[in-house]
Amino acid sequence: MEIVVCVKPVPEGETRLRASADGASLDPEAVKFVLAGYDESAVEQALLLKESLPGSKVHAVSLGPAPRTEEVLRAAIALGCDAATWVDSGPAASPDPIDVARALAAALAPLPHDLVLLGKQAGDDEEGLVPAALAEFLGVPDVGHVVDLRWDAGRSRFTFRRAVEAGQETWEAPAPLVVALQQAWNDPRTAKLPAILKSRKVPIARVPPVALVPGVGRSQSVRFELPPPRSGARLVDFQTPEQAAEKLVKLLREEAKVFP
Amino acid sequence: MPDFSLSPEQESLRDLARKFARTEMAPHAAECDRTARFPEEIYRKAFELGLMNLNVPTEYGGSGLGVLDQCLIVEELAYACGGMTTSIIANCLALEPILLGGTPEQKERFLKPFCADYQFASFALTEPSGGSDAGALRTRARREGDHYVLDGEKCFITNAPHASLYTVFATVDPALRHKGVTAFVVPRTTEGVTPGKDEEKMGHRASSTGTVRFDGARVPAANRLGGEGDGFSLAMRTLDQTRTPIGSLATGIAQAALDHAAAYALKRHSFGKPIAEHQAIQIKLANMAQSIHAARLLTWHAAWKIDRGERGTLESSIAKCFASDAALHVADEALQTFGGYGYMKEYPVEKLLRDAKLTQIYEGANEIQRSVIARELLRSYE
Ligand SMILES: Cc1cc2nc3c(=O)[nH]c(=O)nc-3n(C[C@H](O)[C@H](O)[C@H](O)COP(=O)(O)OP(=O)(O)OC[C@H]3O[C@@H](n4cnc5c(N)ncnc54)[C@H](O)[C@@H]3O)c2cc1C
Repeated sequence: MEIVVCVKPVPEGETRLRASADGASLDPEAVKFVLAGYDESAVEQALLLKESLPGSKVHAVSLGPAPRTEEVLRAAIALGCDAATWVDSGPAASPDPIDVARALAAALAPLPHDLVLLGKQAGDDEEGLVPAALAEFLGVPDVGHVVDLRWDAGRSRFTFRRAVEAGQETWEAPAPLVVALQQAWNDPRTAKLPAILKSRKVPIARVPPVALVPGVGRSQSVRFELPPPRSGARLVDFQTPEQAAEKLVKLLREEAKVFP
Repeated sequence: MPDFSLSPEQESLRDLARKFARTEMAPHAAECDRTARFPEEIYRKAFELGLMNLNVPTEYGGSGLGVLDQCLIVEELAYACGGMTTSIIANCLALEPILLGGTPEQKERFLKPFCADYQFASFALTEPSGGSDAGALRTRARREGDHYVLDGEKCFITNAPHASLYTVFATVDPALRHKGVTAFVVPRTTEGVTPGKDEEKMGHRASSTGTVRFDGARVPAANRLGGEGDGFSLAMRTLDQTRTPIGSLATGIAQAALDHAAAYALKRHSFGKPIAEHQAIQIKLANMAQSIHAARLLTWHAAWKIDRGERGTLESSIAKCFASDAALHVADEALQTFGGYGYMKEYPVEKLLRDAKLTQIYEGANEIQRSVIARELLRSYE
């Protein structure tokens, strides 16, 4: 099976964010960009399928500027992806999601793809528009909020589950298919040291983006603000859950005096 | 021109170590310290990720890293727990004599099967009668045909209770002093090899330290590293390779201490303002930051020299000695910044002080480092 997984570089969870000088977007300087969240689950799903179907290949694709985009693709290779394509967006900040989908579709149309996997939304802007738009541009059906995707070889069908309000749905669909995945349901693996070293030597194909014309997009980021500093919250240090509970009970009793 | 930037490859090694340290090690550091538990599940994961046999070339199943790469990893691990780090990197120390002194056949025979699985090796040099004066060691090796018979006892040996392989330094004739010291690779399964119990320690309590006894242990002559009498130089060359990462281990502990102290100083109020706004505390934090910066750069420099193929005895001794003294001082100042809370086991800084202390003692006590530094220094004036 030929699997494509799309990933996006997003700021690492612990990074301290600030607005750019013009106030329009996040300042990318001093931000560490990583492969994270939904995308990690998507890569894990791709690798699980590859491992269950001998002869499968996983191709990682990412759109963004240098050097962060190449770095997340190397991270994907270190995890076990076989090849990678970098769609170079140039330094343009936060392009319109429909344009992103169009550029991704152009980049992966020539690649064999029985399955295209994405996180259901990016870990930073959480827009969630790219998967459906990408499917539209590729002319392929798409499904979202998916967990546990498998290939039923006997019936030549993907089967997967979706968590809905009242329970679990089980679905099936033929290839090719675009699938947007839920986060962190599959305990994404950590890349091993030898694989990290090897990933540095794998060539990454670079394609210029198609139709990323600034200003022509449907939307544009005009302002980025951090939430106001919180007050009134108090962080309690702890080492074990028992200790956390003990400390909280002490605070509730002695400071908040909610119970005697 | 010197260049202090890391390659993208080094950045990604450091990221791996940081992620492992913060997600796998840190959550268990306090518990393992309290109970002196040897967290096998964490060590096994470290092995699986390739964080254990860092210095062994990839052809023998190790990670094949240079000393600077090792330093980057060790600092990150030690930031989360010094004791776990000591146990994770002890294989590097134990296997280095095989890398430096083993024949291709010995490397193939010992390293390949060893690195293929999760297991521990121990470097067995120190004895109850003395560690610093390695030329005076007493464990005897008597030749009997194509075997040597080992008798004696080693102490303070990291991971000894858990090890499957020991690199043992013994003497073929105590009267020869340094010139009698000979190194052997001894599998634990050898009859007459008895590891003792875990010692109860002040710090590094997630690590395991113990004795190993040799009572007529018959070791094939094919397990001897180098010739008779080559062991002393082999031990010294081994420590030249492994001393610098101990400087990084100390730096990681110190960085953790500063991070705790700075965060606390911003939160804790006295006389109507955060204590971080009192100049006495600012001076502490500034001095801590200076020491850490210097320690890190000294370790990087020593590692860089060694990776270029130089022996680096002077630089690695300076790095290890400076960084470990810095770690103890920084941890002490961090504890002071916490005031009474710092003295409480409930807070993380007193552990850092206990853990920092060891870095001044093992892999060559700092008194010995200073005498090495002076010797190397004076030589350049002669
Ligand atoms: C937790 C832990 C783990 C260890 N792991 C290992 C291990 O894996 N393998 C191993 O072989 N050893 C290990 N050691 C042993 C360690 O390397 C020794 O403790 C150290 O080398 C000092 O030896 P010693 O304790 O016998 O002290 P001694 O050599 O008796 O020294 C006592 C004091 O005198 C000072 N001194 C000695 N000689 C001189 C001199 N010539 N000039 C000035 N001062 C001097 C020393 O610096 C020290 O302060 C470990 C120790 C500990 C505590």
